[in-house]
Amino acid sequence: MAIDCLVLGAGQEVGKSCMVVSINGKRIMFDCGMHMGYTDSRRYPDFSLISKTGDFDNALTCVIVTHFHLDHIGALPYFTEVCGYKGPIYMTYPTKALAPLMLEDYRKNMDRRGEDEQFTSDHIAECMKKVIPVNLKQTVQVDKDLQIRAYYAGHVIGAAMFYAKVGDAAMVYTGDYNMTPDRHLGAAQIDRLQLDLLITESTYATTIRDSRYGREREFLKAVHNCVAAGGKVLIPTFALGRAQELCILLEDYWERMNLKVPIYFSAGLTIQANMYYKMLINWTSQKIKETYATHNAFDFKNVRNFDRSLINAPGPCVLFATPGMIVGGFSLEVFMQWAPSENNLVTLPGYCVAGTIGHKLMSGKPAKIDLDKDTQINVRCQIHQLSFSPHTDAKGIMDLVKFLSPKHAILVHGEKPKMATLKERIQSELGIQCYCPANNETVTIPSTHYVKADASGTFIRSCLNPNFKFSTCSSTDKSYLDSNKSKAVSRLSVSDDRATEGILVVEKGKKAKVIHQDEFLHRLGEKKHEIQFAYCFPMHMARTEDLSSTSHMLCSFDKCTLISRLSMILSDELSEGNILDLGEELQVESFRVSVCSSDNCPHRLSSSLQNGSESVFFCCHWSVADEKLAWKIISIMKNSTL
Amino acid sequence: MGMVAELERRQSAMELHIINSIQQSLDNNQPLSFQALASLRSLIINPATPDSTLSSVLDALSRSLQLNRDPVFLHHALKLLRDLASHRPHLSPFALDLLRSDSLFSSASPRLVGESLSVLLSLASIGNDIDAARFVSLCLGPSVSVRQCLLRNAEKLVFRESVLLAVFLGFTRDPYPYVRKEALDGLVKLCKNGDFDDRDVIEGCYCRAVELLRDAENYVRSAAVRAVCEWGRLLVICSEDMNKQDSSDAVFIQLGCMVRDMSVDVRLEAFEALGKIGLVSEGILLQTLSKKVLGINKDKAFKPVEGLDISASAVAGAYIHGLEDEFSEVRMSACYSLRTLTVFSLRFACEALNLMMDMLNDDSTVVRLQALDTIHHMATSNHLKVEKIHIHRFLSALVDSSSVIRSMTRKILKLAKLPQFKLFKLCIDGLLGNLEIYPQDEADVFSALFHIGRNHGKFTVHIIEEVSPEMEPASGGKLSFDSTRVAAFLVLAISAPLSHEKDVSAIPPRIFSYAVTWLGRISYGLSDLMNQEKLLAYLSECSRSSTISLADFKINEALLTVESDAPIPLCSKVDSPVSMPFWKDSGGTSDYHHQEFLSLGKSAAHAEYELGEHSELRKYVNLIFKKVKDFWSLVELGCTTEAFKGIRACKEEVASFTADSPGSSGAVAFTLQYLQVIGMLAKVWGHLRPTKMLNPYGVGKLELLFAKLDRRLREISNRFIGLSKGEELQILDLVLVACLLRLSKMEICCCNAAMKLLLSTVAHVEYLHKEGSIELSNFVTEVKKSLHDADSSSSSSTCKPLLFKKLLDSFSLQQFVLYGTPRYIHAELAVPSNDSENPLPFIPGIPASIPLAITLHNVLTESRLWVRISMNEESTQFVFLDLNLIRNEKRSINVVREFTFVAPFYRTPKAISFTVRASLGLECFRENIDRVKVFGGPKCELTYLCPEKEIFLCKSTEC
Repeated sequence: MAIDCLVLGAGQEVGKSCMVVSINGKRIMFDCGMHMGYTDSRRYPDFSLISKTGDFDNALTCVIVTHFHLDHIGALPYFTEVCGYKGPIYMTYPTKALAPLMLEDYRKNMDRRGEDEQFTSDHIAECMKKVIPVNLKQTVQVDKDLQIRAYYAGHVIGAAMFYAKVGDAAMVYTGDYNMTPDRHLGAAQIDRLQLDLLITESTYATTIRDSRYGREREFLKAVHNCVAAGGKVLIPTFALGRAQELCILLEDYWERMNLKVPIYFSAGLTIQANMYYKMLINWTSQKIKETYATHNAFDFKNVRNFDRSLINAPGPCVLFATPGMIVGGFSLEVFMQWAPSENNLVTLPGYCVAGTIGHKLMSGKPAKIDLDKDTQINVRCQIHQLSFSPHTDAKGIMDLVKFLSPKHAILVHGEKPKMATLKERIQSELGIQCYCPANNETVTIPSTHYVKADASGTFIRSCLNPNFKFSTCSSTDKSYLDSNKSKAVSRLSVSDDRATEGILVVEKGKKAKVIHQDEFLHRLGEKKHEIQFAYCFPMHMARTEDLSSTSHMLCSFDKCTLISRLSMILSDELSEGNILDLGEELQVESFRVSVCSSDNCPHRLSSSLQNGSESVFFCCHWSVADEKLAWKIISIMKNSTL
Repeated sequence: MGMVAELERRQSAMELHIINSIQQSLDNNQPLSFQALASLRSLIINPATPDSTLSSVLDALSRSLQLNRDPVFLHHALKLLRDLASHRPHLSPFALDLLRSDSLFSSASPRLVGESLSVLLSLASIGNDIDAARFVSLCLGPSVSVRQCLLRNAEKLVFRESVLLAVFLGFTRDPYPYVRKEALDGLVKLCKNGDFDDRDVIEGCYCRAVELLRDAENYVRSAAVRAVCEWGRLLVICSEDMNKQDSSDAVFIQLGCMVRDMSVDVRLEAFEALGKIGLVSEGILLQTLSKKVLGINKDKAFKPVEGLDISASAVAGAYIHGLEDEFSEVRMSACYSLRTLTVFSLRFACEALNLMMDMLNDDSTVVRLQALDTIHHMATSNHLKVEKIHIHRFLSALVDSSSVIRSMTRKILKLAKLPQFKLFKLCIDGLLGNLEIYPQDEADVFSALFHIGRNHGKFTVHIIEEVSPEMEPASGGKLSFDSTRVAAFLVLAISAPLSHEKDVSAIPPRIFSYAVTWLGRISYGLSDLMNQEKLLAYLSECSRSSTISLADFKINEALLTVESDAPIPLCSKVDSPVSMPFWKDSGGTSDYHHQEFLSLGKSAAHAEYELGEHSELRKYVNLIFKKVKDFWSLVELGCTTEAFKGIRACKEEVASFTADSPGSSGAVAFTLQYLQVIGMLAKVWGHLRPTKMLNPYGVGKLELLFAKLDRRLREISNRFIGLSKGEELQILDLVLVACLLRLSKMEICCCNAAMKLLLSTVAHVEYLHKEGSIELSNFVTEVKKSLHDADSSSSSSTCKPLLFKKLLDSFSLQQFVLYGTPRYIHAELAVPSNDSENPLPFIPGIPASIPLAITLHNVLTESRLWVRISMNEESTQFVFLDLNLIRNEKRSINVVREFTFVAPFYRTPKAISFTVRASLGLECFRENIDRVKVFGGPKCELTYLCPEKEIFLCKSTEC
């Protein structure tokens, strides 16, 4: 069986995440996003690749959406209402709650820009009715064979990674995630699962970020210095996520430093979003969850509502205003008022789209900004650039891949050259096969295939009882880091072979069955054969008086002496194995050696004694398992003198 | 009366009836009915049932056990046996025998086996164990729950390490995760208690634990982390000196891999374990603070065990991750484990400081406090280099809303030594800001200002010059000293003359007079340093003196009486905010849980909290003891020098304590003494233990060391009264170690004496153990056991250095916890108006009388005191001082006595003048003198209570 992954979006790019995975006969669409950079048909994934006829209900088992960002959910109303998909859609509760806000906001902006409408308000509402909400770690049985489960992903509130399992094939689609916590969201959290495939985002495929404390410190310092000097701080942000994080940070700092400067939220989406956050405490970080009983972290004590009359009120203040990047709206209005004073501060988000005022401010501080032909803004205020990001960095991706250790990995949602570097690292450092397909490509990976077999009673009983063995002999052991080098190691190791004692028997016309190895012979009606090696060879002997000249005259006492001498030699030279002296015989594992007293020993290769009086014949037997050991002993014996 | 007799008669008749009917049914080979069992139970739990009846009940039970193998019946029989054993302790051996019998343990029902096992465990004392073969066969049985239960209690059931090792190691392969976990836990316990020197075994266990770090279950992984830590440490110890560093690094990296685990518990364990690995090279340490792989570590691979290659890059950014973890307990654990690692490298400490400063921005108070504690720890180990970029962040903690944080910050400031005036000014401004916002901190801010001023004499003078206009009375002659700010500057100013810097120019004397107007508030702030009287004396002295006389001897002398002078700027206030109960802080309801959860404080610290009366000093002293324990683990690892450094720092810190309050002097003296003992022990240990290392000291030097150690031990065990039995036992542990160390070295061992001391100490330990029902340490139990074995095997106590060496392995220093306030026995000895100019007269050949002015502190009346007077080694003479005969001149019971005692010196030489040395010794009852007895002298070894006093005598000219 194989898993086929058709990449409809976010292949070697960031935007319109969409991936259709066929796994053991089920087809799941992960995310259904839109590309914000295009206004033509490229904005949506090419759904026709899923089904030529447009019969999506039969082509897809379900749609899973990881979080409410538009590049992950933007095309959903279009897909359900315009393309006509009517099957189940799964997303987490917060995503279901917040997605309509996002979509509606986008639709309004689209209207404003005068683009042709792709979907209507009704479309959004209708679409949301089809959504089945899921909780974290709740296993949902989509149909008889398909199980899905959501895991916490950090990133934004309600973001989840999804685990999907059909029969024996299992995979995880991460969506966007963050491996380090921030002030309001926790780090991604997932169990150690047995996976055939991991599809992970790779926004920061090569970046390694340092501690978030540094970023927080810089931000707080800038804000504090500004308000301490009586200035006003403008924080243009996006309504959901960053605003709450920064606000918690400021609130905490205000509390700790006993600051009384007012913090304002511009009315609108942010207030509504805060309300949602207050209800979705379960999805926030540990700290907020813990203190929730005494104080809801989103009940901002120092935060007030802003109204326009306050723009020019005297005294310092901090203001959160939408939209981010200062593209227009209220944040632009305030910016125009505050920019001319050098006391004031504007913080900019980490990323601003080219053409926005935010972008102009970021690329070298201009003294004047032309808003349009008539309006010109003098910019004298301070600029601080935020470098917060809710995506994991390269180390986080590596850590997750290492922790899950899937058999294969696919990278999406990133830039092509950086993804290639990361792919190399995953393959060389972790030894995991990795792919980064482009849009509209299909990757096929093999999946685990299991055979159902009966087991015999003897085998089951033998499996119930522990059966461990200790050994000090050489064994091959893979190193922890999967360096692909297997080495012969000699050390005390323990093994439990209950399962390997079984033998899989497939008889014609019958179901496969596992039986215990002891039963096997019985069933075949055969006897057990063992391969034994034997070798008889002379060994040099020091001339001593008390030993008689010919070998056949050796009495049993002399044999014992010879054997004990041999044992001494071997114990000096041989590092492994347990040497047992059994009187007339010496045993090391299965290797046995004794003095050969018969002149026509069949195992003797050359019967002639070079120096008859100084040699004595030894006859050795060993089984095939100890062949190496046997030859080692024989070479020791040949090279030494008794 | 008649009624009672009647009742008794009826009861015994009933008993008889029950027993008879049961016997009858048994004789007919009928199993017991449930009704019969119920009536048996009524007999068992009735306290009036006579023993004879109960033994027939036991008989009946054992017979029926042979008859009936029905699991339900067995289950009830088992309950009966348990009741019997718990209600009648003297019958419990029989009941236990029955419990152990085959009928229960070989039962096919695993539930029954499990039940009988738990009954056995709840009843059986140690020694009543099931034998090893039975244990193993039960373990290998198919029931998983029985297996798990057996593994969990394996230590109690079986003593043989080899059996345990095999079983534990084997079951790490079990398919059931809980069994694997128990097996790993067993390995950890085994490693802690056991004694392994077979490298193969250690490697085997270590590798198996490493394999399980990748287990699918969280709890198995966290158990594996513990196992890797413990066996890894053993691996380091048993590797050759050349490879020690490498294998230690490798174990550290191996553990470092686990800090990115998804499970909180695993991460917690990982950080705790990281802190335990002592010896880590700088490169690796620095790597933990950088997510990017450092150049030096690029291709660095370690191979602690064949086949377990691990690259240094695996540990990249471990602490960065830990410090920004979502869970505050993980962040705390990371802070804490950083604390132990900063001792090893200054560079690492500097970089870690950077992170710690960031942690001051953390949203959890406990984490902030832990970060400050780590910084404080760096400061005390001289690894704190404050730079300008740090100072702003650091000083912001001074205006933190949590008072604990502020006070901890000030505590660190008191220790700081700042290189630039700018930084100094910032600190002073920070403190002033603190004072402004939180006036309730005044006392401690004053104290901090005083300390900081004293540490930076020149800067202080400079700053006072700058602000002196502010401090002058306003025009019009009216004093306007009502501003706290001025008071703060005054405190700063008056600290200047106490500065340790040499050429400090003067503070105008009038400033000191100004300070007098603030006397009350200032002296309240400085109460840890001097009381109001002394402060007043000091201020008036300073205000009177002209510029030159400030540096005068007289002043310094005055200061010496003011405080016990600290030679380095390391003077801590006695009360330590570290040990302030965290839960009093309002914001941290959940953090309290973390505090408990995280075993930072361990049991000792908790015991300390639970104590009703909080003595600040004791808390501090116990913190020192905790540190000492950490240092000892360094000694065990072979880093004796580092341990010394630490112990020395502790000594200095303790020496700077003032002993004002009654009783505190005893604790301080005790701590000092303890530190000295540990120091000596470490020295000896370091030279004896690692056999592979060449002894840098010859036998003679070692002999000297031993003598010193003995003296210190004698002092600590005899010169303190009021120690609890537990405390005394811990000291005896040390005495035992010293004995064993001596015995383990053939060349220097005077076998008999040491053996004697060993035996008598063990006897005393046993006595205390019986008296106080205090649990003995593992080490003592080992010693007792092997002594016992040695006794039974050969009657003659021959020297077996190897045996003693082995015993020493089981020693681990326990954290000393001081509960009470020990009193320090000491004495002062003086001869009034005697010096080389004014000698005492004597006539050669005729005994001379020496008047001794003696002050005894805390000496009990029943103790035997001797005055030892010696002219040289040969002529030493002891005079017994009978305390009962001495009239107490100043009445104060048992605490301080002052009197004059005229001691005769008999063997005056034929010389014009000579000197003798006198001292006071206390007889130690447990140590007999084995050398030739001095005539009339003490029977036991003496502990000297005061330094020797030199007395000058001159031939009398009058005759």
